[in-house]
Amino acid sequence: MSFSKPGHHIPRRSIEGHEGTWVKIFNPPKESPPTPELLEPTNPVPAFVAATVPGVTNLTPYTIRPHLMHGTELKMWDGRELNFFLIGDNDTPDAFDGTFPGPTIRVPRGVVFHAQVEGHGQAPHTIHWHGIEPTAINDGVGHSSMEIGDYTYQWQPNHIGSYFYHCHRNTIQHFDFGLYGFLIIEPPDAYDSSDGKNVGGYPRRTAANLSQYPMFPGFIGGNLESGNPHAMTVPYDVEALWVIDDIDSVWRDQAEHAHQTFPEHGDIPGVNDEFHTNDRGKQEFFAFHDFNPDYFVVTGVNFPGRLGSTVSIRPGLTIPASLNSGVAGMQISVNARRNQTILVRLLCAAYTKVKVTFPVDVVVIAVDGRSLGVPPFGRYNKPYTIPAGKPIEMSTAQRMDVLIRSSRSLSSFGQIEYRHHLSDAFLLNGRIPIVIK
Amino acid sequence: MKRRDFVKYAGGGLAALVVGSVLPTWVSNTSLLAVKQVQELNFTITDAVKDMITHNSINKAQCYFWLYKEQNFPAEIPGPHIFTTEGSLIKVSITNGLDEPHAFFIPGMVNSGPIAPGATKQIQFVASKAGTYLYYDNLNAPVNRVMGLHGALIVMPNNAVPGHKFTPYSNPTTAVQQLFDDFGTTTHFPGLAWEQGDPTTYTPAFRQYVWLLHAASSRLFAEVGNYPPGRDYPAAQFISAYQRDRFRSDGLNKKPDYFTINGHSGWFAAHNPTITPHHRVGEPAVVRILNAGLSLHSLHIHANHVYATGKNGVVEENPIWMDTLTVKPLDVIEWVVPFTRPPDVPNERGIGLPDKPLISISNPRISGSTPHPVWPPTEELGTFMPKRGDKAGDIDISVQLSPICYPMHDHSESSQGAQGGNYGLGMMSGIHFIGDRNTPGGVSTFPNASTIHGPEVTGPAAGPDVYHEGH
Repeated sequence: MSFSKPGHHIPRRSIEGHEGTWVKIFNPPKESPPTPELLEPTNPVPAFVAATVPGVTNLTPYTIRPHLMHGTELKMWDGRELNFFLIGDNDTPDAFDGTFPGPTIRVPRGVVFHAQVEGHGQAPHTIHWHGIEPTAINDGVGHSSMEIGDYTYQWQPNHIGSYFYHCHRNTIQHFDFGLYGFLIIEPPDAYDSSDGKNVGGYPRRTAANLSQYPMFPGFIGGNLESGNPHAMTVPYDVEALWVIDDIDSVWRDQAEHAHQTFPEHGDIPGVNDEFHTNDRGKQEFFAFHDFNPDYFVVTGVNFPGRLGSTVSIRPGLTIPASLNSGVAGMQISVNARRNQTILVRLLCAAYTKVKVTFPVDVVVIAVDGRSLGVPPFGRYNKPYTIPAGKPIEMSTAQRMDVLIRSSRSLSSFGQIEYRHHLSDAFLLNGRIPIVIK
Repeated sequence: MKRRDFVKYAGGGLAALVVGSVLPTWVSNTSLLAVKQVQELNFTITDAVKDMITHNSINKAQCYFWLYKEQNFPAEIPGPHIFTTEGSLIKVSITNGLDEPHAFFIPGMVNSGPIAPGATKQIQFVASKAGTYLYYDNLNAPVNRVMGLHGALIVMPNNAVPGHKFTPYSNPTTAVQQLFDDFGTTTHFPGLAWEQGDPTTYTPAFRQYVWLLHAASSRLFAEVGNYPPGRDYPAAQFISAYQRDRFRSDGLNKKPDYFTINGHSGWFAAHNPTITPHHRVGEPAVVRILNAGLSLHSLHIHANHVYATGKNGVVEENPIWMDTLTVKPLDVIEWVVPFTRPPDVPNERGIGLPDKPLISISNPRISGSTPHPVWPPTEELGTFMPKRGDKAGDIDISVQLSPICYPMHDHSESSQGAQGGNYGLGMMSGIHFIGDRNTPGGVSTFPNASTIHGPEVTGPAAGPDVYHEGH
């Protein structure tokens, strides 16, 4: 028994009679279909942003107009330029040429959401609304429906919480190279200013069951079926967005075009498909199984250090309203006053694993866009406390919403420890300032 | 079941051996589960070269493995899924057909100790606790396990807790028991309980699936296969090559280059109804996830958030409702897929409950479009992408959006290709919606949606045909 004389040979299975689904798995069709089961969109956010942020338009009513592109060089902390694929927005001058990450999309629960997404004759793309669960054509996975073309995605968010959106074509590359942004579902009246609240600022509310955590004032209980838009929500004064990502500069240098490893089907699918069409036949790059990051970022901000280092980003970093659906003041580094309720939204967009550590106790109120303890679906679980200093392990695409409230002043850091997903080797410790005065 | 059919299902991924003298009710009530009842397991530890998923015409895309070959099954990696009931006595005969000592091991349950090359050992053990277990070879750890000597053992409870519905556990926590009690009895989970089937719609009871994750390194495994007979490949060297081998832009290093669920990648897992659950809204299913490899995976499921009910033998006190799960090497985790209507399909109140769907407007770009409920999505189900008539050579490759197919994939995406590129041929499966138990007028099945619960495929194999001669 050995490699050259094995006891058995296990052949591949046949795809005969199933060529269509086989081809679609690796070579999905590019189409521009009409939106089936069409509804009138009702999302109020694009009109609000156009009315409040200078220069922003809203050419298709109740509809956002993101687009996807590739081939942008962005400068890293050490001056080196790396290749990025970016999401832009056709209505927002600040975002027209793409931003990293893409603009944060906020949508009130219960509205009919439309996103009119265009292809630009580039490599095909999709948008998958990660955590949102619509019908398959609106789920944005080419292998289950189609790549765009032009298409208006349609869904209605039913659960308040933290999500993100990303391209689902050759996701290994397109998501890693920057085609993603954050997505927040807010209470139904988040953009209704008729009750006098500051729609474009803070405080805001999010879903939670804090009946066992009286330290967070303003929690409203009740039940979702009552129709009260604030049922099972809590107000927060400060909001921080930590999108944790890592970058392998070798991938960026060597896999520079967006369809490097797109296989193409042959005229006898399963028999003479072609793996090497798009690499110009030279096998320039076929190493997407081997990811070794050497740059590390949070919400697009570089941790300015080499592998193995411990480094901090600056205090006082915020996200402009034009890139946050008209909401001014969302933070990256945390800057709050004592006895304010602070919401930190965490997303692991890294392919390695991360450990997040806070210098204060935090209360986990939601995971993956689902609030803990909110009936009926949350009746099986409940929020929980993670003590200061205890690491929170996260892997790719997980979200977690945590609340902080401190009666004491604090000047410290949240820490993001990156470890390799295969070897568990320490990669970098990135520190995010947390200042409570 | 005829032996020929059983073997066909066995190769597909979820035919299973049921060990025990009496066929338990959770099997006999499940006429569609492909099972064979045996009194004793009879394994030979052997090796194989397997043709892996590819459309690469410049190499054979083969990988060398070691495996537990059960006498009722064709050779496959992993070994067969074995189902039994708590308290059953399991007898195992193991013959070591390889050149170095091997073993059969389940943590806390059985340890054969080393079996010498050429020797046969009889062992027996009691399946002492309901749950999900990885059986594997624990010698020269982790080499023998990672080379392919592993499989899944599923131990079902004998009974539900009195006054409650069945769960996969003998002693569920209050929260997990409540979840299973609520399936089929509450307004938020209308449909069937987990323990309920419906023969009239070909719906099995106790719907359960195994996703055994693995990441295989063809060049490293070949090196182990070529190692001098009788000598163990050094474990530290194996781990170092698997986890830290130097990057090469042509991909030809010793890090894992094939990523499988139950031995299958890409299409072969995602369109296999014994791996990818095909069910209606209202037909909740349990998925048992095991990681035999040495890599972290981050499994993301579309269309439904799922409850993680157990991890490494401990039933969760606080089962989180999630869409992405961290799975570390040797982790064993149970997921429950509620199979609700995807909640963000527009509905009256928009609060996640199975409300009446909104009524569409007629779409002038769709011929014959008239206002209708947006669920079931009849216009979408009638769409073909690629369009009808699209061809590859002479072969029609159109695909109807029915059933409604969603992927499950490892979001730590370096596992999503084969041979370092080749996206779509990696560690993925999915969930497919074939209908809805709660549509007006009763249970519906989507047009042309498959209700088969096992692969029926025969014919020439995928991959460059020229290489199918040989071995």
